[in-house]
Amino acid sequence: MRRILIIDDEDDIREVAGLSLEATAGWTITTASSGAEGIRVCATANPKPDAILMDVMMPDMDGPTTFRKMQETPGVAGIPVVLLTAKVQGVDQRRFAGLGVASVLFKPFDPLTLAQQIADVLGWPSV
Amino acid sequence: MCLGGRVSEAAASAAEKTAALLKAMWERNLPVLRERVGGLSAAAEAAVAGGLSEELRVEAAGVAHKLAGSLGMFGYPEGTAIARELEVALGEVEASGTRLVELVRTLRDALPL
Repeated sequence: MRRILIIDDEDDIREVAGLSLEATAGWTITTASSGAEGIRVCATANPKPDAILMDVMMPDMDGPTTFRKMQETPGVAGIPVVLLTAKVQGVDQRRFAGLGVASVLFKPFDPLTLAQQIADVLGWPSV
Repeated sequence: MCLGGRVSEAAASAAEKTAALLKAMWERNLPVLRERVGGLSAAAEAAVAGGLSEELRVEAAGVAHKLAGSLGMFGYPEGTAIARELEVALGEVEASGTRLVELVRTLRDALPL
């Protein structure tokens, strides 16, 4: 069973993403409401999440900054990160893709197909 | 029943469960959504009156961004499209009050608030 850590400052996004991944794929979900909390949760998790789904625009520490800090954190670096963004402009998409994240998905996502989208971009078997 | 039938039944059941949970979440989040749309309305009215401060404009753009990212997942893609237009309009330093009022009205009409 896959384990996913969802990091988003928006309660409704965390809740919808979590319930959709649980209901449609049976994945185990952990959530964090900020980048700092996400790094802390991930660093202490045992077992580690198989992937991290993280918002781009968050107060205090945004998704790209959190991703860079993750790569410097033992036990967290190397876990595939999928960014979630409501930014649709090409310049933003290219900037996020250039960070070294596994993929970038766009909000609003379809709760019924989110798990399959994640599986597809991470090369996991179909859910 | 063949395996394919059981798989599609399971998928249909997951889809129904997800749809029911989304509906319940939408209803639970209505007060927050109303507050957000109300905030956008206040920003639009302030712009019409020539009193849209930089702080309020940036805050309202952030609210529009959040709505753009969430309304579609609840089944309101038109709401997402209008919220995106609002985010772009509010991103301009000299945001047009008339345009903002029109967009907020369209957003309200697109949502069962």
